[in-house]
Amino acid sequence: MAILSGRNGQVLYDPAGVTPVALVSLKSWKASFKTDYIDVTCFGDANKVRVPGLPDIAGSGDGFWNSSNVVLFAAASATTPGKLKLVPSSVEPTFFWSGLAYMSADIDVAVNGAPGVSFSWVAAGPFVEAP
Amino acid sequence: MPESSAIDQALVDKLLGDATLRTLLPDGVFFDEAGPSIAGGGNATRFVLVSLADETDEAVFGHRGFEDALYLVKAVELKPAIGSGNVKAAAARIDVLLEDGTITAAGYTPMVCHRESRFRITEVDEHDTSIRWQHRGGHYRVQQSV
Repeated sequence: MAILSGRNGQVLYDPAGVTPVALVSLKSWKASFKTDYIDVTCFGDANKVRVPGLPDIAGSGDGFWNSSNVVLFAAASATTPGKLKLVPSSVEPTFFWSGLAYMSADIDVAVNGAPGVSFSWVAAGPFVEAP
Repeated sequence: MPESSAIDQALVDKLLGDATLRTLLPDGVFFDEAGPSIAGGGNATRFVLVSLADETDEAVFGHRGFEDALYLVKAVELKPAIGSGNVKAAAARIDVLLEDGTITAAGYTPMVCHRESRFRITEVDEHDTSIRWQHRGGHYRVQQSV
């Protein structure tokens, strides 16, 4: 185990929700696993007291437009979730998060740069961390 | 992974292959530093000089996504005793060739080639201050997808 570069990160997705395939020309991804906490503070408590609710699992990422792979934009208009798999480094491919997710996508085209794409996602089912 | 110098060479080859530019500046197209005239073998006094002004590699997951280079491409001419020479026409010809042009480099897919800024100076020769060198051209953005 060692600290690895994000250079070999991966975002994989399958609209059918079965076998995710790597999306090309992406350069970043983020995932957030924030849990809501319910305030259950009562009279007499020395401080506020909270209990965990459910984790809100969502994230984002970005890269460059590549016409050879437009899965992201098809996914953005899909009414059923696909299977998303996020790998911090393909050097350690057994470490990843995956689950069903809904995708949103944006494209940003400017006269002085390469067209960029960005996406965000929200969990549509249980997300698991492997291993 | 393709070899980045192929982009430099492709740019030089594109300029070198143009008969009109060769007529205007017959001594050749050089990278960084002028060599002997390809026309007569003596000192080059009418030539195109290409140099890499800036370069950035854009990474995507797993590999280099594209290479983003800024080249200074200029016509260089010893100012003639009479008249203004060919430097103006040569700079214009360079622009015709490169503005929205295609640079075909082995192992790459062309993305863009266009001028970002103009370049024009008159240089006083350091050995003979009576001599003037005219430089005219521009900074050209060349992006190539890997």
